[in-house]
Amino acid sequence: MSFDVFQREEAVILQARTLLAANAIADAEAAAKYEELLKAYEKLARTTRRLIKLSDRNEEQLNELAHTLNQKNETLATLSDKLSKYLAPQIYRSIFLGRSDASLITRRKKLTVLFSDIKDFTETTEDLEPEDLAYHINNYLTEMSRIALEHGATIDKFIGDAIMMFFGDPESRGIKEDAAACITMAIEMQRRARELRTRMAAEGFERPFHMRIGINTGYCNVGNFGSADRMDYTIIGSAVNLAARLQTHCDPDGVLASYETYVLVRDIVDFEESEPVNLKGIRRKVRTFAVRSLNDPPVDPSRQFHFDQEGLKLSLDLDKMVGNARAEALRSVEDVMHRLRALTET
Amino acid sequence: MDPINISQTARTPRVEFDFKTNKFVIAGESYPEDVSTFYGPLLETFTKFLNDSADAQISFRFELIYFNSSTAKILMELFEALEEAAGSGNQVVITWAHEAGDDNIKELGEEFAEELSNAKFILEEIAI
Repeated sequence: MSFDVFQREEAVILQARTLLAANAIADAEAAAKYEELLKAYEKLARTTRRLIKLSDRNEEQLNELAHTLNQKNETLATLSDKLSKYLAPQIYRSIFLGRSDASLITRRKKLTVLFSDIKDFTETTEDLEPEDLAYHINNYLTEMSRIALEHGATIDKFIGDAIMMFFGDPESRGIKEDAAACITMAIEMQRRARELRTRMAAEGFERPFHMRIGINTGYCNVGNFGSADRMDYTIIGSAVNLAARLQTHCDPDGVLASYETYVLVRDIVDFEESEPVNLKGIRRKVRTFAVRSLNDPPVDPSRQFHFDQEGLKLSLDLDKMVGNARAEALRSVEDVMHRLRALTET
Repeated sequence: MDPINISQTARTPRVEFDFKTNKFVIAGESYPEDVSTFYGPLLETFTKFLNDSADAQISFRFELIYFNSSTAKILMELFEALEEAAGSGNQVVITWAHEAGDDNIKELGEEFAEELSNAKFILEEIAI
């Protein structure tokens, strides 16, 4: 006889039935009550058996559903992972966490915008085979994207060899902090580009890439532009155009910032101002500031300090002060302080 | 009695019955297609072992992640058999291990243990 999950209960029932069949209970009324109780017990055992069967069947179906659901989730995860490559990670996160809607909504926000491109890219690469061109450009864009993501930039788009990115949306650390992150990133991009040139030369590429970077800070419209069926998360506005124009005006291997960006980051980066220039599509003359410390190690705020406002410029680098330079600097600063106090107290 | 060792599958648990050391383990997930086919022989052998045991130290470890209703009935049978063995003078220790945070399995173990008065019951949390 095969095993029965309810064999213990069945054994009790069999024992009770045998007892009744043998008329072992002398009192007829007690025997009738006993039989009634046995019938109720049998019914309870049958009900439990049915309930367990039903429960097993339901659990089986739930398991199958869970399995199907898991498979669908895995498919969706793979799909969304593939799609995420076409979006800036911040945008992807924002949409998947439900913070952003896929609707045509834009807002005005102060952003720091960066454009980079490779000088004379077409001429530089015209002799390259398509496979070699794809290898070098993908390698270059991968390296630049990695740096951008490390600094928290939102990569808006790649336009051939050019990269458009910005700081301040969908995540912002504050206007000044966003500008600082952008300029620091730009410097690192140029440093990495220099290393890439060495590598490209070593790989036999005759005309390694020289990158130009333009940066501007200003109000932009940021959000989803396009149609309800096909939209791009991007930015538009004159501040964006100015960043693009600054990039075309920038020296190769350099970083050129607007005055709006310069005032936000002059404490941490050394700039050289050029004569104001006329830029295509911009009516006013534009003040431009080229980053000077591209080849220097990153600024150590405890050793270096820069202050620049109308009427006072102060640039402190403790590491450059030798001999009596510190004592002399202290006397000069005290003299300045003395004069400023005298002026404010009168 | 020869030991019984059954490897875990997607639907059935790992079973380790060592009749020399009196250590018994059921671990993993349990929702067999036919609970009688899987557990029938196990229960039969184990009941026979318990019937032959006297003054023995018996340790049974349940380490289940998921089980269906039929398995729950089998587990109740095992608990009952162990309790009877403990009542007959054997020293029985039942360990019910559950993954940390799995309150469902933990509570089921506690409910099964409510019927115990002679066997010792230990609830054990497994860090995941």
